[in-house]
Amino acid sequence: MFEKLRRILGKIDADYADIRYEIKKTALILFNGKELSQISSNSADGYVMRALKNGGMSSVVFTKENDAEKALGTLSENTQLIANNVKRPVMLAKTEVVKDTFIPPLKEDPRKVTMSEKLELVRKYNDIPLKYEKIVTTSIRYREVIREKYFCSTEGAQIREDLVTTDLGGIITSKDGHLTQNASVFSGGSNGFSTLRDQEKNFEERTAIALDLLKAQPCESAVCDCILSPLLAGVFTHEAFGHFSEADIIEDLPAMRKKMRIGSQLGSDVLSITDNPTLSDQVGFYSYDDEGTKARPIQLMKNGVLTGRLHSRRTAAEFGEPISGHCVAEDYRYPPIIRMGTIFIEPGKLSLEELLNMLGDGLYMVDTRGGETSGENFTFGTQFGYMVKGGKIKEMVRDINISGNLYKTLLDIVGIGNDLELSKIGGCGKGQANIRSCFGAPHILVKNLVIGGA
Amino acid sequence: MEKLIQMAKRVCDQAEIYSEENTHTNVSFQNAQLHDIDSAFQSGLALRIIKDGKLGFAYTKNLINRDEFLQNALASLEGKVVANYEFPLTKDLPPLHTYDPSLENLSASRMVEEGTRVCDLLQSQTNGEIFLNSSNHITKIRIINSEGTDVSSKAGEYSALGGIIYPGSASAILRSFENKTFDKMPDQMIHEIIELYNLSSKEVEPKGGKMKVMFMPNSMFTLNWRILTGTSSKSIYEKISPIAHRMGEKIFDEKITIYDDSLNDKYPHARSFDDEGVVCQPLTLVENGVLKSFYYDLDYGTKLNAQSTGHGYRTVTSFGAYEAITQQPSPALTHLRIKPGNKSFSQLLKTIDRGVIVEGSMGSHSGNIPNGDYSVGVNPGLYVENGEIIGRVKDAMVAGNVYETLKHVIDIGDTLYPSFLGAWVPAILCDNVSVATKK
Repeated sequence: MFEKLRRILGKIDADYADIRYEIKKTALILFNGKELSQISSNSADGYVMRALKNGGMSSVVFTKENDAEKALGTLSENTQLIANNVKRPVMLAKTEVVKDTFIPPLKEDPRKVTMSEKLELVRKYNDIPLKYEKIVTTSIRYREVIREKYFCSTEGAQIREDLVTTDLGGIITSKDGHLTQNASVFSGGSNGFSTLRDQEKNFEERTAIALDLLKAQPCESAVCDCILSPLLAGVFTHEAFGHFSEADIIEDLPAMRKKMRIGSQLGSDVLSITDNPTLSDQVGFYSYDDEGTKARPIQLMKNGVLTGRLHSRRTAAEFGEPISGHCVAEDYRYPPIIRMGTIFIEPGKLSLEELLNMLGDGLYMVDTRGGETSGENFTFGTQFGYMVKGGKIKEMVRDINISGNLYKTLLDIVGIGNDLELSKIGGCGKGQANIRSCFGAPHILVKNLVIGGA
Repeated sequence: MEKLIQMAKRVCDQAEIYSEENTHTNVSFQNAQLHDIDSAFQSGLALRIIKDGKLGFAYTKNLINRDEFLQNALASLEGKVVANYEFPLTKDLPPLHTYDPSLENLSASRMVEEGTRVCDLLQSQTNGEIFLNSSNHITKIRIINSEGTDVSSKAGEYSALGGIIYPGSASAILRSFENKTFDKMPDQMIHEIIELYNLSSKEVEPKGGKMKVMFMPNSMFTLNWRILTGTSSKSIYEKISPIAHRMGEKIFDEKITIYDDSLNDKYPHARSFDDEGVVCQPLTLVENGVLKSFYYDLDYGTKLNAQSTGHGYRTVTSFGAYEAITQQPSPALTHLRIKPGNKSFSQLLKTIDRGVIVEGSMGSHSGNIPNGDYSVGVNPGLYVENGEIIGRVKDAMVAGNVYETLKHVIDIGDTLYPSFLGAWVPAILCDNVSVATKK
């Protein structure tokens, strides 16, 4: 394969070029309620090529080997067109030229588990919620994505890496009268099929939540102090803060870039945040990014002071900061962009009980329904939470959506728990949909969040 | 493809091949400067087979070995996914004009020139940060099946999404221009961006509460998503739609009429057949506030003893990058329209004594979507008093239930704008919507 890729690379007239060929194997089993609605196992592939010439950088994606010539022509034209029109020529930061093969060690290779065994496992878990009368439907999916990547560059890099992702989970929907509620359930990881075994308790617990939610009260709109669960604090870290640590997002937002200067005190002094793609066994784990740069941990914030940033080779040169190995593509359809690997709030010293006592009266918000950011402002949803009165957890509430201002909220994080937890399933919809972005945190205490109510 | 269908017919009852070819070039400007040009040439095909009432599925990017590909689909029959429907025989489709050959000759340099023009115009009249993404996209689809259907469509679209970002944020006033062929972004659209941005550059912190809320086309996506979930045959079948038993009843204000407009080739991506080869036809979901129909694909049509309404698409009802060949068809309404009213934006604005214009929304994927609940951050939100935009409100959330909100429609705008996922809708001004702020 590398010989073929080198042949294609050899035809391009550029100061720098790279090519990535990928085979992406996907297995899918999907239940909607009792019915199996999908089962398939397929493979797709394609090429992504990038070139830099005279300060202009561009990319092209193609499916068929026969289209390589046409793609090369387009790439050359676009590279030249950019070179003629940009004020600041694109440069690439230096990176170690690597020749390596990395096949991750797996605890049970999903390729060696038969489809019928996978199907029986999904069916077994799916049956758990469905035995309850008030569970009206489920959407439970097994997904296995294996990316076999071949990367080489005109600098001499040659990297072969596999990314194996398996996850099993979905949504459990309950209904009582006209009220519909749901709870999500997750399991999975990057280190093999074994993470999906023995999930009965997980499915039972999540089913109980879907049922309890039918009795929970909707949340009133308010401004209040809140404790966020590790998963929710992780979503906050990813959405509200993490994206603005991605250099490509702020590169051309001058006001934001000024605010996110390294050395700025942006958070409270208890807050430290790191992104570490090298934590094995996590969904965000990889060895080399899709520019061939070795991944490394980057501390983004230390005691509230901004200390680092996530980079591609292009942005590292633009910012004059160290490369980090965070330029990653979803698959064979995309050139790489800057992404978080495993981002998390570093654990503090407080137990959940101590945080509850610090909170006194407020909300304890438990699960995520995802979030979104618009720079300084963010929104995220939680599936459920509990009222807290006098430091004690009281009744369950549902339909909680929160919004806040990033800079104010970073300063309003006043308590950090000692119970760091990382997500079992990844996902980020920045431009492409990457399933290998992981996040986490311990429980945290945040003041003054706006609750949207229902 | 024909050969593959013949091979499949020998070993199963029915077969269908969906093939797609895509070419696109994207040009992006950041901070009013050219930043990226990316191109792609992609293709692939998907095979569905039915044997003894069971479904098999396979896809590939490169059809190298037909036999292996067919074997893969046959292997998936083992899962015993029930398929009691039949692929249609579709002929005599209405001719649609979806493709203008001039798009094929549109150069990236012409797109750069137009992008530079728009960025310069926006920059000359504001102090914001300018961005623009334009795209030239050509898609070819062909569906053949064992019943004799052989239909194809070639569609082109030039689009430009541009706007002004409030410095210090990533929040923007933006507009999307979508056209069947290349054209300059209309001056009126550019001026609308500039005017709204300049009027809202001041930050204000109004008191929250129930007030008038105008959902602009960019934020209507939040409401559209809930309407599309409630009227989907999949939600009816799964018993999670709150309007399943309300056919013929008034569910919204009488000013609301919602319909599907697949066949209207004035807009890009008109379709005469869906991704299962079923003929598209006009479909009204809600007429003058009264629930008229749900939408079906072949599978859920059969499950609910109804006909497919031509709404089986290989898509997902949310944001995200999906590849059509890797998806199996499911009920999707890809050409949603809401009937416009007769008030201009400035006329609507004048009727707001106190309220928020939601230009865009954040977190539309959060909340209990089947139930119709929404609770979104304003991104951005323009605060209005006595018919005038006073400034921009941050840290605010707008929340409600679509089946309640659309009962209190004051008026509807007279212009349709693109609103993501193929929808074109007007601005809708509603009364008595909950707005949460820090005060």
